Amino acid sequence: MKKIIFILTVSVCGAVMAETNMQLSLPLTLHTNAPVAKVKAPAKPKPPTEIDSDTADFDLNIHQAIYRGHVLVVDQQVRMTCAWMLVDLPTGGQHLSHVVATTNVVVDFTNEQGEKYHVTAKKAVYDYKVVNTVTNETVTFVGNPIVETTNSTIYSEPMVWDRASNRFHFNEPRMISKDTGTNSPSQKLF
Amino acid sequence: MKFKAAIFYSAIGAAIFLFASVNDRAQQLPVGHATDFTSNQYFEPPNGQQVKMRLSGAEALPLPGGSLDVRQLRVETFSLDGKAEVIVRAPQCNYSPFDGMANSAGHMELQTGDGKVHVEGDGFLWRQTSSSLTISNHVHTLIDMPGATMIGS
Repeated sequence: MKKIIFILTVSVCGAVMAETNMQLSLPLTLHTNAPVAKVKAPAKPKPPTEIDSDTADFDLNIHQAIYRGHVLVVDQQVRMTCAWMLVDLPTGGQHLSHVVATTNVVVDFTNEQGEKYHVTAKKAVYDYKVVNTVTNETVTFVGNPIVETTNSTIYSEPMVWDRASNRFHFNEPRMISKDTGTNSPSQKLF
Repeated sequence: MKFKAAIFYSAIGAAIFLFASVNDRAQQLPVGHATDFTSNQYFEPPNGQQVKMRLSGAEALPLPGGSLDVRQLRVETFSLDGKAEVIVRAPQCNYSPFDGMANSAGHMELQTGDGKVHVEGDGFLWRQTSSSLTISNHVHTLIDMPGATMIGS
């Protein structure tokens, strides 16, 4: 009986999502459906993030940097390339608040479990703010965003990574599972 | 208007050091050569006593057209509470006091006052009036602050 109720509930939920075309929220570990867990900062101090570019402009009045040409951003977990990147540099701040990367944005990310993600998009926007002790931290990918994991490739426009909850939000996503082979026709999630 | 006046006096001050010392530390110099000079730009009133930007150098030699060949350039910008916001250093540059521009094909470094951002590169143009800096080649930045990679922790 419980089994029937459970199946019924899942079916109803699936039907509602399909009809309303609502955004999907999937855990970061997409292929395992593991429970969502916030990534804790490592105890030891991290080395600084490195940014290389051909040229850069700094506006010291508004504390903003614009990098142009072969922009490469690297830290312990991430390697990102793009052609143009804007960074707001808060004075006395402990956290960057706004970063925009455009043109051929490619992000390779390895999480603390060693899982690899390859994200491509035309544009990525990072926003971080704390309002009433609530942290809002998102990365929004637009312009044909694609995320490739070990087991799947997901297409979504836009694609938002809510970093506070560590979840991807997809809009009308299409997912291709690599387990079934890449030549199979793409399947719409749910 | 007073801001423009401050820039004007700043430029005049920079020019004067060719003939005489411009601060307590500077030495009395022969015409056309200066060492250990400083030029300050102040905030607009009512904070006219607060230094907004300080340009200093170890040595300056006059160039044709009124610009200066500055050695060991150091530009510091300050917040209203007097804290250093940004420090720009270059071993050599050409500085034009009258249009407030400094440029060089050589190496330069920029560091924020809290030390969280460090930038270096080759070739730069500093516009004093807009407090803007363009680095032309091989820009390398270190940011000791989360968020730069968007995704990394």
